[in-house]
Amino acid sequence: MTDTRAAETDPVTTTGRVLVLLDGSRMSYAALQAAAEIAAKSGADVLGVFVEELNQLRSAGYGFAREVGASSGISRPLAAGEVEQRMQRLANEARRALAGAVAPFGGRHTLSVARGHVIEEVLALAGPQDLLVMGRVGWSSAPGARLGSTAKGLVRRSRGRVLLWCEGRVEPLGRIVVFLNDHRDANSHAIQAAADQAHHSHRPVTLLIGADSTVSSEDLKDIVRDLGIKETDLRVRSLPSTDPATIAGILRQERAVQLVLSRDCTLFQEPGAERLLVALNLPVTVTP
Amino acid sequence: MPLPAPLTENQVYHGCPEDKLDFITTEDLQDLERPYGQDRVLRALEFGAGIQAEGFNLFVLGPSGAGKHELVERFLSLHAARQPVPPDWCHVYNFQFSDRPNALKLPAGEGRQFKKDMNDLAEELRTVIPAAFESEEYQARLQELQEEMARRQHQGLFDIQEEANRNNIAMITTPAGFTFAPMRKGEVIDPEEYKKFSDEEKQLVESKVEELQKKLQQTIQQIPRMRKEVRERVHALNEEMVQLTLGGPIGELREKWSHLPDIVDYLDAVREDVVEHAEAFQDGDNGPPAGLLARYKVNLLVDNAETVGAPVIYEDLPNHQHLAGQIEHRARQGNLYTDFTLIRGGSMHRANGGYLIIDARRVLTQPMAWESLKRILSSGEIRIESLERLYGLVSTVSLQPEPIPVSVKVVLLGDRMLYYLLSHYDPDFLDLFKVEADFEDDLDRNEECYELYARMIATMARALKMRPLERGAVARLIEHASRLAADQRKLTAHDRVLRDILSEADHWADQSGADTVEASHIQQAIEEREYRASRVRERSREQISRGVVMIATAGEEVAQVNGLSVLRLGASMFGQPTRITATARPGKGQVVDIEREAKLGGPIHSKAVMILSRFLASRYAGDGELSLSASLAFEQSYGGVEGDSASVAETCVLLSAISRVPLKQSFAVTGSMNQHGEVQAVGGVNEKIEGFFDVCKEAGEIGGQGILLPASNVEHLMLRADVRQAIAEDRFRIYPISDINEAIELLTGLEAGEPDSSGEFPENSFNFRVAERLEKFAEASKKRDENGEANSNGGKDRD
Repeated sequence: MTDTRAAETDPVTTTGRVLVLLDGSRMSYAALQAAAEIAAKSGADVLGVFVEELNQLRSAGYGFAREVGASSGISRPLAAGEVEQRMQRLANEARRALAGAVAPFGGRHTLSVARGHVIEEVLALAGPQDLLVMGRVGWSSAPGARLGSTAKGLVRRSRGRVLLWCEGRVEPLGRIVVFLNDHRDANSHAIQAAADQAHHSHRPVTLLIGADSTVSSEDLKDIVRDLGIKETDLRVRSLPSTDPATIAGILRQERAVQLVLSRDCTLFQEPGAERLLVALNLPVTVTP
Repeated sequence: MPLPAPLTENQVYHGCPEDKLDFITTEDLQDLERPYGQDRVLRALEFGAGIQAEGFNLFVLGPSGAGKHELVERFLSLHAARQPVPPDWCHVYNFQFSDRPNALKLPAGEGRQFKKDMNDLAEELRTVIPAAFESEEYQARLQELQEEMARRQHQGLFDIQEEANRNNIAMITTPAGFTFAPMRKGEVIDPEEYKKFSDEEKQLVESKVEELQKKLQQTIQQIPRMRKEVRERVHALNEEMVQLTLGGPIGELREKWSHLPDIVDYLDAVREDVVEHAEAFQDGDNGPPAGLLARYKVNLLVDNAETVGAPVIYEDLPNHQHLAGQIEHRARQGNLYTDFTLIRGGSMHRANGGYLIIDARRVLTQPMAWESLKRILSSGEIRIESLERLYGLVSTVSLQPEPIPVSVKVVLLGDRMLYYLLSHYDPDFLDLFKVEADFEDDLDRNEECYELYARMIATMARALKMRPLERGAVARLIEHASRLAADQRKLTAHDRVLRDILSEADHWADQSGADTVEASHIQQAIEEREYRASRVRERSREQISRGVVMIATAGEEVAQVNGLSVLRLGASMFGQPTRITATARPGKGQVVDIEREAKLGGPIHSKAVMILSRFLASRYAGDGELSLSASLAFEQSYGGVEGDSASVAETCVLLSAISRVPLKQSFAVTGSMNQHGEVQAVGGVNEKIEGFFDVCKEAGEIGGQGILLPASNVEHLMLRADVRQAIAEDRFRIYPISDINEAIELLTGLEAGEPDSSGEFPENSFNFRVAERLEKFAEASKKRDENGEANSNGGKDRD
């Protein structure tokens, strides 16, 4: 099921669209706002995605189904009708929020409402050029999760860039921090993503490299060129360790406002990724 | 009876011989250390300032302009200089009850240092504590804590999810929470398909789901407790960091102020407060909120760093706020707010441990100020409360600063009337103001006085930064001081008048280009002062000289005499004659006081008329009945008449009316009289004599006019030079009289006549004529009464 009432033109552009995953949670609306701003700066269309999770609909069909409150822990019966209504209401809200977020910038937007499994539906919609923007955690933030299962799945499986949004404090002098590793292609993607952000936000960039890695001066020149910033706006720091606390400390020192890293980055693959995200309270862009 | 001799020139003036003054100018004289002639006040001040007992505050009473303020301030400054400097007081934030700022006492001069120390500490806190929170150590520990807590929090949910997965049950997140459903290959089984499950399988699934739900419920319900635990542990970490950071600066201050336990306690409270608000210091960019740091400031209410001895404070506007202090407010965006730094001390705070001088009239005219002053003195502590609050006009929450104990000696300055009124009507007054310091109005003029009075004038002159006075000028001023005191044996102690004359004389000396103030300048100052105040007097004299107001200064008239009255206008007074007339006819022994009948006479005047009425009856009616209907009036008097100084004149004019003997109009008469005919002293004699003298002068040449005045008033005479000149030339005479008969003889030229043993007066004497005429009145009355009775009986018959 696709809802195209809000936009009539073909959303696919050469630069790709901005897909934003909406589930009605607070974080997803914050991500929507960020997505609308990014789209306005890049001239891309915004495609909102609302997925009616099949597993949820099915689970409500059981006579014994009960819902345990995420905050209160109170258990109450769950009826299929109620879940249907709730999803319809959330979809309507998402539609209104999407229109409201994009309207100030005058861009085009579409809301896609699908029924199925979230990850599959989003992967089906997102192309390699598209930027997928989503809250770092959806409804599971209530009981205290810092990285939702959908975010985990999409970061792992998405073909394009994923921006895991979270609400941090505004830092006027903040920098964009990019993790580099030994994969040249992956680094190139990360640099490209950082370049896009630096271009829009005019912020300086910090490169973080492993303790045993080095960047040759030529490579550095290439990176400066690719980033499109002045040499003075680039800083290179090596990571003494990949311990989340150390990284968090460095990011604080750098006044990081955005973190860019490759999906293949060891840092993100370790079981400590969750710990790192706990320590960090800033948006993270994961590149292919 | 021998008539009194007229007074000589020397009797009517007590001059100051220059040889009594042993100096050339006042520059040669030393300042007076103690005020001259005010020993009573000085002893009272010494006693009042020295005594420590409660309620021994002072009331210095004396006329306005007597120099009370200068004397008291000078005395207390000298006295206070020998006393210890009182402590400093400050208000600090009360961390327990924020609306009740605490008061702290520090030795004099240390308040400033304490205030600076606390400002420095606040400044240090502003940077040191955020730096501690920024430190790697703190961040790492916080990270560990958060991670541990997140892990614990998440672990519960994760374990349940794992358990569910192991049992092929999906734990699905919904917008409101979680739900469980059987799954296969990671997907929830379609409910329709589930229906095909055997009952046993269903039973298994459902019981597992139920079990998982219960576990989830328990886990979720533990989350708030865990969150609270996180908060507490983070807070404990913050506290620990702040404690460590504060250890240095607060430790130093504790050491420095260890001699003052109250300050040490306060510093401990500050440390606890900073620790409690550790999180507020974490905002590294904007720094801690200004309001938070403002709590560690010190409001130095009383700073005695530069005070020498005990303070002597004069409060020139003694209203409630200025005395007891106030709590000010700042306006911000239309709202008023206050805090302990806006508490302002009053003069009571500043005078604490010393002396506070207040003008009694001013404090009484300010709303609630008198009550506040008494409350502070009674309770021994200053409680700062707004006037609106005392009146109950506002009920908004405000500060209630801790009362400050007060030990202050209050010196009220006021006139005597105020003192006596307060003593009579305010029951607290004498409990709180037990020391009465009564100013002398006049000083004794004796042989020793000249040097001291001259030194007093020299002291005044130097204080006024004026030219020095020559000996002659001082002598003239001393003479004028006697005139101001209206007594040859006294000198005025009225500070203001003397200062004014000195200033004016200096002005005239300046105008004439003199280097010193001479007697002529003093005389000019006196005359100019009189001239400036002479408009009403001259208009009044003009009325007499033009005959509008009838005053005869020559010839003889029956039942008419010149009385003398004094008018006081502002600071000046002058005398003028008033015609007093009388009528007499047979009647029932009554003397009608027309002034009283017209409600123009005061009670003292009425009393005097009653006295003369009884004098007449006892002297002339003897055992018989006084058959007289007489009346007395002050002619052309349209204002009130008060006093008994005209009773001699009234007696004479009444006797003239009865006897039909004329009175000499060249005399004016003043003096009061008792029931036995003795003449008694009156006031304002100088002004009265000079007033009549001026009227006579304007009527023509002075020649043979005079005044009859009580003999007891002679030593009050300090007459003008032109009057003295006329006396010396025997053109104007002043007769001191002590009995009414002397007045009669001088006014009529007849012998008054003393009664013999049978009460009869000698024939042809004045009193004989009076008695004879009264007898005729009595006969006439008797005849009329008989006729009246007969007519009345006839009338009855006719009825």
